[in-house]
Amino acid sequence: MKKGWLLALAAAVCGLAWVDNAKDDAWVASRKNWWAFQPVERPEAAGIDELAGKSGAELDRRRLIRRLSLDLTGLPPAAGDVERFLRDESEDAYEKLVERLMASPHYGERMGQKWLDVVRYADTNGFELDEERKHAWRYRDYVVAAFNKDKPYDLFIKEQIAGDEMFPENQEALIATGFLRAGPEHLVGGNQDEEMNRQEVLTEMTAVIGGAFLGLTVNCARCHNHKFDPIPQADYYRLQAVLAGTVGKDPVIVPEEEKRGREAEQKAFEERMKPITDEIKAIEKPYRERLKEEKKAKLSAGHLAALAVEKDKRNEVEKRLGKEAEDQIKVSWDEAVAALTPEDRERRRGLRNKMHALEYERPAPVPAAYAMGNMEKAPATHILKVGNHKMKQEEVTPGLLRVLNPPAVTGEVAGRRTALANWLASGEHPLTARVMVNRIWQMRMGEGIVSTPNDFGVLGGKPSNKRLLDWLAWEFVRGGWSVKKLDRQILLSKAYRGERTPRRLEAEFLRDSVLAVSGALNPRLGGTPLKVPIEQEVYDLIFTEAEPDNLWPVERDEREHTRRSLYLLNKRTVRLPMLANFDQPDAMTSCPARPSSTHALQALSLFNSPFMEQQSRRFAERVETECGASGADCMVRRAYLHALSRPPRAGEMESARKFLTQGGSMTEFCLAMLNRNEFVYVP
Amino acid sequence: MYRRDILRWAANGFGALAAESLLAGQKAHFPAKAKSVIFLFMVGGPSQIDTFDPKPLLEKYAGERLPESLGKVPGQFTDGSTPILPSPWKFKRHGRSGTWVSDLMPHIAECVDDLCIVRNFHTESVVHAPAMYQVMSGRILMGYPSLGSWVTYGLGSETENLPAYVVMPQPEGTPEGGTPMWGSGFLPAVHQGTLLRPGANPILHLKPWMESRRQKATLGLLQEMNRQDAPAGNEEMAARIASYELAFRMQTHAPEAVDLKQESAATRRLYGLDEARTAEFGTRCLLARRMVERGVRFVQIYSGGGPVSMQWDAHDHLQANHEKMAGMTDKPVAGLIKDLKSRGLLDSTLVIWGSEFGRLPMSQSGNGRDHNPHGFTMWFAGGGVKGGQVLGDTDEFGLRAIDGWHMRDFHATILHALGLDQNKLWYLHNGRHEKLTDFGGKVMERVLG
Repeated sequence: MKKGWLLALAAAVCGLAWVDNAKDDAWVASRKNWWAFQPVERPEAAGIDELAGKSGAELDRRRLIRRLSLDLTGLPPAAGDVERFLRDESEDAYEKLVERLMASPHYGERMGQKWLDVVRYADTNGFELDEERKHAWRYRDYVVAAFNKDKPYDLFIKEQIAGDEMFPENQEALIATGFLRAGPEHLVGGNQDEEMNRQEVLTEMTAVIGGAFLGLTVNCARCHNHKFDPIPQADYYRLQAVLAGTVGKDPVIVPEEEKRGREAEQKAFEERMKPITDEIKAIEKPYRERLKEEKKAKLSAGHLAALAVEKDKRNEVEKRLGKEAEDQIKVSWDEAVAALTPEDRERRRGLRNKMHALEYERPAPVPAAYAMGNMEKAPATHILKVGNHKMKQEEVTPGLLRVLNPPAVTGEVAGRRTALANWLASGEHPLTARVMVNRIWQMRMGEGIVSTPNDFGVLGGKPSNKRLLDWLAWEFVRGGWSVKKLDRQILLSKAYRGERTPRRLEAEFLRDSVLAVSGALNPRLGGTPLKVPIEQEVYDLIFTEAEPDNLWPVERDEREHTRRSLYLLNKRTVRLPMLANFDQPDAMTSCPARPSSTHALQALSLFNSPFMEQQSRRFAERVETECGASGADCMVRRAYLHALSRPPRAGEMESARKFLTQGGSMTEFCLAMLNRNEFVYVP
Repeated sequence: MYRRDILRWAANGFGALAAESLLAGQKAHFPAKAKSVIFLFMVGGPSQIDTFDPKPLLEKYAGERLPESLGKVPGQFTDGSTPILPSPWKFKRHGRSGTWVSDLMPHIAECVDDLCIVRNFHTESVVHAPAMYQVMSGRILMGYPSLGSWVTYGLGSETENLPAYVVMPQPEGTPEGGTPMWGSGFLPAVHQGTLLRPGANPILHLKPWMESRRQKATLGLLQEMNRQDAPAGNEEMAARIASYELAFRMQTHAPEAVDLKQESAATRRLYGLDEARTAEFGTRCLLARRMVERGVRFVQIYSGGGPVSMQWDAHDHLQANHEKMAGMTDKPVAGLIKDLKSRGLLDSTLVIWGSEFGRLPMSQSGNGRDHNPHGFTMWFAGGGVKGGQVLGDTDEFGLRAIDGWHMRDFHATILHALGLDQNKLWYLHNGRHEKLTDFGGKVMERVLG
């Protein structure tokens, strides 16, 4: 008692925090028995159906292929594929279908979308400037490709956490470290509290590792010991110390020669641009000078006098006054533009347009990875009182969560993340496999066995079926961490094939399905993020203090406008209304399970938006072309087969006929089809 | 399910009733006077020492450095060494309460007996966007639900014809923080702020592209299909049917709600609609009144956005800047207070005037001021607020709040005024019971009288 008091006093006097390790150890030990910290137990069971219990009656084949297709690719089945599946009388017709869909490149897109939700991927930094990350998309493509080629999940972990350390020669692994850099980052000028900004970056990285791989809310222990789980604050900072030397890097990923070639292209382009910008400057020059003179006339005598002194000859007072005077006589773009004569304003606008047109020809930047690397030396990590970087407490060394009896982390800088990755991917870790199989189960069944996929801690709750979860986790590791193998096991189960409550399509897949059904979908995979047309109201939301023209240069090739939603520029501060209305996550925090809200704005965007107008027209044209002179019944039938994967029922045909004979157009009919519940919900 | 329930459910956008255990709210926790909120946000940081917080001492120290005893106080762009700049405006006492207001805001000055001015707020960031996120969502980070989202999440909607939470930014551009300032973060999308614009098309995608007779017929067909598609007992699909009815109703009602032709000449004058410089902001203030009149829960208005010249961010030319911004807003804001009062709406409407931070007493560029997160003023009026009082203070230089209120306290107070207990209003997200006030704030009881 007395000793403790003395130590506390000593700690207070020396400005050190007194973290009582022994006390923490005892607390952690007392909470170790939580199910998720125990090793995965292999249940003696034949398979999922024995463990999952009673399942609903098997879906009919039309709904089955529809569900499978939407679940595996985020797209409805093509009408022809539905018919083929119906006609296939072989015993393994369903198995073959599963294989075909898992082999589709769209499988990776669907699985990738889920992973990108979890890592809160976006193409911009966020905050006020929200600048585009020119190379981040390579990570998005890496994720899609990883699921498509069934990259073993243990390797997937290693590449994302420590690809640069573990596979230094491998470009793909380097790109994979974009995982650690996917979150928002505050980049802005002025007097910045660099330490605070760095702390936020470290918290982002630590939190996403916790949520994505560990299924633990480790970041809750940034400010205090975790309130529910045995994660002392010290453990949070030990984990953060693993990342202390990790910094964003943009290594060039092409050979030196190519790099030089690209740089030469850039230079040549700037030379083409220069005459235009020069001409704009020349137009503005007399106006700017006049405005400056007007402002000068209002300066105080002192300011004016200081300004008159040559810059390098100013004394201290003159320096300050001179700087102030320069600030005061600055002419902003909007002042200059307002001063122009109508003729000059018109000329200037013409040149701005020319500039924007030329901008489309700007060569792509030298290819680089939006990646992570190590500093020379990792800065020390301190426990921070209430998470505040100004309240440093004692220093900690890198380490992993003690509740899981981890190996030690060594290494000055390099090797720390390797240790973390190896620990997670060891196959012995009680959480890694459980967390991932739970995500796959959630994708297929609508809800995870643990209903909070990023939180396997006490607040997250217990699994609804631990034996099943463990069986899946065991199979996953035993199957070489193959996502497809595990997924196949789920898809072939009766549990998956049974009746269940329909789920609404996720925002992106709803848009993609509309495109697929209208026939407009451009299925090309990957590449740089796209700017598709947006409404003026949305354009106005792009923040800038500069001239607000050409902030959203729309992709010129219209076929690109109908690519999958995954490839649309994901800008943190400007969301596309139709997607946002249908609960697309905002990419600010990890989203392990999307809410599914229902409200009037969804109806407005799905009924009235220009996008839906366009797509219903295309859909109508599609069925008109398909049916030629065969008439309205044929078109209605085709519309049903495309949109709902089934022919119309007699009553439906009748009401369609009635609608069309009473002045309704095929476009209007198609719009209704794309809005109806059966289209919007996964059976 | 009764139709009314379906409507209520659809309007509030409950994703699944099964998820109700994750949710809390949808009705007030205790009775309260305020039913709706109008938040007038002055983008960029108006100067407290030039508006509501007079500091005569600055005259004495004009041109001098801040006394060393106050420490070195950098802004975002200044290092704390620049000379002190006294206010170019005169302060006078106003109203029965004798409240000090500068000449910059002669119209708001007429309303002081309805205002509760709080001079000792402080915030955490010296940079616009994080400070904006903090005052709008409680954190310096993006991605947390905005104040209006929490309020509609807590109280639901009182109108079936309009969105529960509307936002009206400056036409010249968005504030620096952008859309996350009115986003719903991890709350369901129904709780996001909806942009509202004056004119024929006030809400995005409101206007049908087909003629209205055709739209009606197509909607009829759709609803017939939808009723077939919804299995008995599927509440989500039933809510979807209702959502189309609501959308259709919004289409009819929203243009009427923003139609200012119905307002008398006297009302239009009150908001300054007859003067070029006040017409635009006046229009938005008048729209705000029309919104709360029709049951909209939360109206967010931004004065300022886009080019620096259209923000309160007076790094140079403080006088010209604030005269311009106040010139656009002073009369409309006062008009709003007076109009709400004369219509008996002020008692049930909480009006808030404020910003992300204030400005430093030291100068920038000789005649401007840098950001000051250490002490600044915001005021409240209406619903449950005790008017005619000034609370709190900053030091003699107007630099730092004395016993200051944090944004958490600001939020706790607003929720309280609406009958919401900050600790009962939570949402489970990634293993945390997320709350607007995070660790919890103190309700500023004296504000509420």
